[in-house]
Amino acid sequence: MHYVIVGNGVAGTRAAMTIRQRHEPQQARITLISDESPYFFSRTALMYAYMDQLRRRDLEPYEREVYDRQQIERIEAQVVDLDAESKKLTLDDGRVITFDRCLLAVGAGPRMIDFQGLDDVEDGLVHFVSLQDLDTCERLTWSTDHAVVVGGGLIGVELVECFRHHGLQVTFLVREPYYWPAAFAEEEGQMISEHIRSHGVDLCHETQLASIETDSRGRVSAVVTEDDEQIQCQMLGIAIGVVPRVNWLRDVATPPAIGAGLRVNRAFETSLPGVYGAGDCIEIELDPKKEPLHEPIWYAARRHGELAARSMLDDDISYEPPIFYNSSKFFDIEYTTVGEVQDLPAGTNTLYRRKPDAAVSQRIVVDGDNCVLGFSMLGSRWDHTVLTRWIKENRSLDFVRRNLPDAQFDVEFGRVDLDSFNEEMRTL
Amino acid sequence: MRQRGAVGWLKHDITHRGVTAWILTLLLAAFYFILYYGGRTIGGFAVPDLWTGAAEVLGFPHKWLFYGFLYTLAIVIGGAYVMWKYSHNRYQLVRTTVVIFVQCTLAFAIPWILLAFEQPEFYFSYLWPLQIENFYPSNVVNQPLPIILYSVIGSLVLVPVLGVLYGKRWYCSWVCGCGGLANTAGEPFRHLGTKTMRSWRFEKWAVHLTLIAALVVTAVVIAAWAVGDNYPQFEETAASMQSLYGLLVVTMLSGIIGVVVYPIGGTRVWCRFFCPMAALLGLIQKFGRFRITVKDDMCISCGLCTRYCEMGIDVRAYAQANTDFVRASCVGCGLCAEVCPRGVLRLENKTPRDPQELTMSSLLSETYR
Repeated sequence: MHYVIVGNGVAGTRAAMTIRQRHEPQQARITLISDESPYFFSRTALMYAYMDQLRRRDLEPYEREVYDRQQIERIEAQVVDLDAESKKLTLDDGRVITFDRCLLAVGAGPRMIDFQGLDDVEDGLVHFVSLQDLDTCERLTWSTDHAVVVGGGLIGVELVECFRHHGLQVTFLVREPYYWPAAFAEEEGQMISEHIRSHGVDLCHETQLASIETDSRGRVSAVVTEDDEQIQCQMLGIAIGVVPRVNWLRDVATPPAIGAGLRVNRAFETSLPGVYGAGDCIEIELDPKKEPLHEPIWYAARRHGELAARSMLDDDISYEPPIFYNSSKFFDIEYTTVGEVQDLPAGTNTLYRRKPDAAVSQRIVVDGDNCVLGFSMLGSRWDHTVLTRWIKENRSLDFVRRNLPDAQFDVEFGRVDLDSFNEEMRTL
Repeated sequence: MRQRGAVGWLKHDITHRGVTAWILTLLLAAFYFILYYGGRTIGGFAVPDLWTGAAEVLGFPHKWLFYGFLYTLAIVIGGAYVMWKYSHNRYQLVRTTVVIFVQCTLAFAIPWILLAFEQPEFYFSYLWPLQIENFYPSNVVNQPLPIILYSVIGSLVLVPVLGVLYGKRWYCSWVCGCGGLANTAGEPFRHLGTKTMRSWRFEKWAVHLTLIAALVVTAVVIAAWAVGDNYPQFEETAASMQSLYGLLVVTMLSGIIGVVVYPIGGTRVWCRFFCPMAALLGLIQKFGRFRITVKDDMCISCGLCTRYCEMGIDVRAYAQANTDFVRASCVGCGLCAEVCPRGVLRLENKTPRDPQELTMSSLLSETYR
């Protein structure tokens, strides 16, 4: 059986490792195809390479010899055609690869808007999701004094932190009135906004990019906001979200079903026989009546990779998304979130706790019966497995408040004193 | 990429084995060469005794106390830097405070005071087998009884008991001066420790062979002292083993190499590859309560923990596999937990311990990893 995996990100690589754990090379030949990097690297760590805390090689979670030892073949090329009937992939160098099972784990790329002036931009515009983006950022940083970053999400603030590390002046344009309303209530959003500003960032809320200006060689020279303010800059970072990289699949010999992403069922099967999907590029149809699920985060991609591999190995897989969790870091503020915290409907009840003298807060979301639904924790460390268990066990807010210290994960001697917080119920 | 400007270049160059790192290594080597061999003639070259002169000018009774002063100064200044850098992390604040305090008192002021009162100079922070002379009978008989009791109880009771309760770290990254320098002045170089498989294969042999050498030399020296008068040849053998160990392990590896290679090989080269005390405590640690707990499925495989481990442990391999772990070499400095951007790791003393199986085969093949 030849398993061909397109994309060597966390989903693809995890799938390859899962197949290899099950089958010896004689039973399962595994090929990983990528045009981004010859070896799997940690995309979430790009910013640390940019800030010189890691070398490129440090980004690779597995030693290179692992691929030989595990007999996972690697091909550096781009797949340009997929023929599910004759089970063939065509590469950009003309090679044809035949497969028995194929996994498409091609990830997501930066979302883009057709800003005015975009057509004239030859250089100076960056995203921050791939190794090539990192190369571009590093090349441009030398000749940049002022950078503008657009988009108030996780990647935007990473890029801002990197730029500040390199001593650039940064203007950060965020459409929303406070930082990341999709995940934060106003208090937390403003706390993060303040923190970003305290790092010398010119953070402009409720400001949108209208047009881009370029110099004679096509390099970004300024941007103009919708309020007609012109900001001189030599780099422009666009981080307004990601979209599945599926456009190329529309013109192949046997196009799979595609919605906003590559459509898969709960077994990670696409509409094509023998072809599966995993990671940021897919949308999962859980219920035909509901919107398909798109989970563009690292942890979900890793989970998809493992489950899709098991599905390819003929295990009976029916994906049930587990209780959501995610983590991040905004400059110095660590963030842990579990359960239902994103896009909450108005009227949701929450307990908001804030340490008076420091950027540490907790928000606990409850349902009508006062059972906890979600946690949004900033500024200190939490064990998400305990928080998840409480949600699963339908624990009451009283129980959770009493036992909150059990979920703390701070360093020794550094346990945050939970009694020193101001707290009140807030209805969103 | 490095930061821009001359300062950005220097910061990168000196911490990434650049020209300036090599120059610093050469300077450190010269410093130690003069320290150990100043005043002697080596291969026809008279080594100037610069540090004795400097000690006299500054009012130190001899060059070793002057060296102790510089060493302490490096720990105080480096410690202040570390406390500033990790001021948000109370484990680092507490630990570094203790390191500085122990160095200033036990490893510097007290020996000096003892000397002033015409007592034998004794360093309370160094215990056998690191301070191997503590068990040499010819040394012991010159010490007052409380100090003899302290070194015997310290090595045979305190070391294993605290090792079981808190892991190796109580000594290696809270008390010991070698670790103290590594975790303070050595901070900018901590990421340089090699993480290759080859280094691990070397480490597991080298560090345990040094421990065996320390045990054998101690035993032979004690035996020779007991029966020496009747077996002059055995006494001679013991004396030469003692001086060979002194030259190779104490002077070369711990005294010189350990610090000289900071800028090119990282800190803790001595601790990791050669220190008999670290080897002994490592074995004890495997049976103790200390562990590093990994939060399941939270690792993003970024690699900061592995990069900043000064003992060359591939921490990420455990973190991304959701495996709590105890590695014999781990000195519990806590930096992996500090640099982790997702707070995945936590150092703990916890019962029930034993996150990894402790079978003979795991001890022999994988354990010390």
